[in-house]
Amino acid sequence: MTGFLSELALLFHIARRNLFTTFINFIIGLIILVGTCGQVAGSSLLSTLTSSMSKSVIGSAAGHLQVYNDASEDELAIYGQMGGQDPSLEPITDFPEVKKQLAADPNVKNIVPQGIGGGLITSGNTVDITLAKLRDLYRARDEKTPSTEGKRLTAEGYAEQIASVKEHIRQIVKVIHADAAKADALRDAKTVDPSEQEHLVTAASDAFWADFDKHPYDSLEFLENYIAPQAGDADMLYLRYLGTDLEAFQKAFDRMYLKEGQMVPTGKRGLLLPTYYYEENLKLKCARKLDKIKEQLANSRRTIATDEELKRWLKENQQQTREIVLQLDGIKTKTATTALQGFLKSDEKDLNGLLAKFFDMNDQNFHERYDFFYAQIVPLLELYRVRVGDTMTFKAYTKGGSVQAVNVRVYGTFEFKGLEQSPLAGAMALMDLMSFRDLYGYMSKDKLNEIQALKAAAPSKGLNRETAEDELFGQGGSVVNESVTSTIDEKQELSGTTAKKRGATLDENTYSQADFEAGVVLNVAVLLKNEHDLEATQARLSKMSTPNTHFRVVTWQKAAGVLGDFVYYARVGLSSAMSIIFVIAMIVISVAMIMATIARTATIGTMRAIGAQRTFIISMVLAETSALALFFGSLGAAIGSALILFIGNKGIPATTPEQYFFFAGPRFLPVLEPMHVISAFFIILAISALSTVLPAIIATRVSPLRAMQTDE
Amino acid sequence: MDTIVSIRDVVKEYSLGKVVVPALRGVNLEVKKGEFISIAGPSGSGKTTLLNLIGCVDTATRGLVSVTGQDTAQLSESALTRLRLNTIGFIFQSFNLVSVLTVYQNVEFPLLLQRKLNGAQRKERVTQLLTQVGLLDHAKHRPNELSGGQRQRVAIARALVADPQIVLADEPTANLDSATGAAIIDLMKELNHTKGTTFIFSTHDHRVMQHAQSVVRLADGLISGRETAAQAVAHSLGVEQAKAS
Ligand SMILES: Nc1ncnc2c1ncn2[C@@H]1O[C@H](COP(=O)(O)OP(=O)(O)OP(=O)(O)O)[C@@H](O)[C@H]1O
Ligand SMILES: [Mg+2]
Repeated sequence: MTGFLSELALLFHIARRNLFTTFINFIIGLIILVGTCGQVAGSSLLSTLTSSMSKSVIGSAAGHLQVYNDASEDELAIYGQMGGQDPSLEPITDFPEVKKQLAADPNVKNIVPQGIGGGLITSGNTVDITLAKLRDLYRARDEKTPSTEGKRLTAEGYAEQIASVKEHIRQIVKVIHADAAKADALRDAKTVDPSEQEHLVTAASDAFWADFDKHPYDSLEFLENYIAPQAGDADMLYLRYLGTDLEAFQKAFDRMYLKEGQMVPTGKRGLLLPTYYYEENLKLKCARKLDKIKEQLANSRRTIATDEELKRWLKENQQQTREIVLQLDGIKTKTATTALQGFLKSDEKDLNGLLAKFFDMNDQNFHERYDFFYAQIVPLLELYRVRVGDTMTFKAYTKGGSVQAVNVRVYGTFEFKGLEQSPLAGAMALMDLMSFRDLYGYMSKDKLNEIQALKAAAPSKGLNRETAEDELFGQGGSVVNESVTSTIDEKQELSGTTAKKRGATLDENTYSQADFEAGVVLNVAVLLKNEHDLEATQARLSKMSTPNTHFRVVTWQKAAGVLGDFVYYARVGLSSAMSIIFVIAMIVISVAMIMATIARTATIGTMRAIGAQRTFIISMVLAETSALALFFGSLGAAIGSALILFIGNKGIPATTPEQYFFFAGPRFLPVLEPMHVISAFFIILAISALSTVLPAIIATRVSPLRAMQTDE
Repeated sequence: MDTIVSIRDVVKEYSLGKVVVPALRGVNLEVKKGEFISIAGPSGSGKTTLLNLIGCVDTATRGLVSVTGQDTAQLSESALTRLRLNTIGFIFQSFNLVSVLTVYQNVEFPLLLQRKLNGAQRKERVTQLLTQVGLLDHAKHRPNELSGGQRQRVAIARALVADPQIVLADEPTANLDSATGAAIIDLMKELNHTKGTTFIFSTHDHRVMQHAQSVVRLADGLISGRETAAQAVAHSLGVEQAKAS
């Protein structure tokens, strides 16, 4: 035994001595070092990414397990499928029963009914808002009632206000007209609708405005019907919503808190907007960009002078002054112009020009201008296109393929603690289940009968996806358009103006617990007491499904669909990158060891002649690669670990929305686990052992005769 | 005296493609235990080939090679390796020390392969051998820090450390100057005397030959005679004189 140990010691002594004698060993070492370092860092980054993603997914929507109808055509995908569309799920019709069954498991903490969908929101564009304001002023003047803003004015007061708003609208019409002329020049003449063009010419004419007050309501209607739709497309936004029992949701997902407004009252229809989406999509674009620049300047080392993205944002602000100018009426335009002239010490008269000059910012003047913007310009503007208390119109495809529109009141904005910056957690609005069911197109028997009756009364064009699409995308402003369609069919019944009116009444509706329980849900989030028992609980719950409830239970990762896939692909990506490195390492180590063996044939031959068995020679080659792997592997693992610990200590600040998405927060803080180091180590040892096979075989073939040959 | 090496009708042919090169063409030789013999002959006569067969690093094409009574043709590769380890010591023309090991480690190497002695016993044995070759104070040196003569003395220590019955040396002095070569032969002779180890070495240097008990003369793959050292020297001197005149 002592002999064996000393032999081993000798082997390692030889290996250690050989380690630094050849340059090629240094190359091998470097590859091993990079490989282990990459494996340690990569696996810990990936597992941190997975866990931060799981934090987002579990904490903001999915819960630990998701339950849905086993008869569903597609698999549940909370964040949508690969192409962006929602999976086709068979609804759960008896949620109370499913809940009862699930609640029987001791590890189940919360059960939250859900339904997820996506729809377009029309938030009323600037034209709509301004026209509504003017209509309101005329109405208040003529009916002698206070305006919606609660003001009662003198005759001169009304005249002045009306003149100012009219001037504002005229300005808007001019802008739209100019834009349309530019667009027409680019487009094929055939695709231009000549009537649209005519309407614009009419609205821009001096005659139209001269006669405006003769029949103000007709003039307003003309603008609402023919001009507003032409400005509308940019104001259609896609928003995903999660219909749920909002109280149960808040209880189960306890990171959720309200940022603004209030919780939707029990039994009321209503919507909560995620702050992230609210800021990103509903805030005035130039203000949002200024916010983002400010944040970048504070949190990272980026400067306007050196960063292309920040420069681009400022450039965009300079070019997109229209969204500000359109919002300002005559009085406010004057206020803004004077303020900017004073601030910039410029005698430029045009507000567009002044704003362009103002947004031409640099690192020195950014903060001063930012503060000025919020103090002087913002008070003149609507900073958000939707405010708490407003009613939003959602349009979505029902399951049948028709378009459904529902009006929902925005009660507040919310976010999840620790996930404030996560676009993932901040992408989905929360909605009451009843509104969700309307959008989803679930119909009670009564409603179905009603539509059948309507269909019988008027010949229907029938429904197909294309016409529905037209309805959704073709006429962006159709919500406020007093439609000229004369036939009654279910399409019209469910969308457009009629739907809006129905939605408006729905908004006021309260619903009872019985209504709530009678309807469908699409999926059920289950939160567990002990999340480490995930798979076992999943198995137990799966067994609970009866022919009558017939549900399927999946983990959050599976339910996350594309995102779960993303984690999967990231893992596949990392392992294939690592595999490539390791295959290269294997080839290089093999080749290098073969070369080293060939260079050492005299020594090997001598050892064989002296009496070393073949096994000893194999051990010698093995010891050498092992020593190489141990030494450089340890070094690589140490560097990788140090890297992760260093990054974990400081964090990588997220600088783009994509990074917020992947980091699930403003900073990425990777965590090192011993498993990452140990597994990397074992992998590299295995690789080294494998790459020793060929050189070892070659080494054993060296004849002891080689010792006798003198090196000429 | 016992026969330790017995060679009978040995033919060794190398095949170079289709051409068959006969290196030994029917050699018969008996070596007795404790002999100190030299194999002499011109270049290409088959000296190295013969030593390789005796040393069990190569096998004969035909004929019998028996070492310590064992027919080497009957032994497996690992048995031959064991035979080399335990029975034979090698001294090479180019010393063949392991360059990454120290003098001490080089000498200890066969003992480690044998796994017979423990650390203390090994140390004693290695120290003894290094003392005998006069290199104890160089124990920690590396081969490349030594002169040629010193290296060959390390090689001798290594060849003898496991107490082999036969020591084979193929032109052990060829890479040394004549004075150093003579000292090496003296050392070998002394060890032959004190331990009774059988020494078989090849050379074509008559000054080296004269130290041998007997000289086996090889010519063209055949043994042309076995002479005493004095006869052999005279013979080779005669050859040289004939060449000179
Ligand atoms: N591996 C080999 N392949 C082919 N022929 C060989 C080989 N080894 C030796 N020979 C041939 O066998 C013959 C004997 O060679 P050997 O090396 O035994 O001679 P030697 O007496 O040792 O010569 P030297 O004094 O030059 O060392 C020579 O003709 C040689 O060319
Ligand atoms: Mg030779």
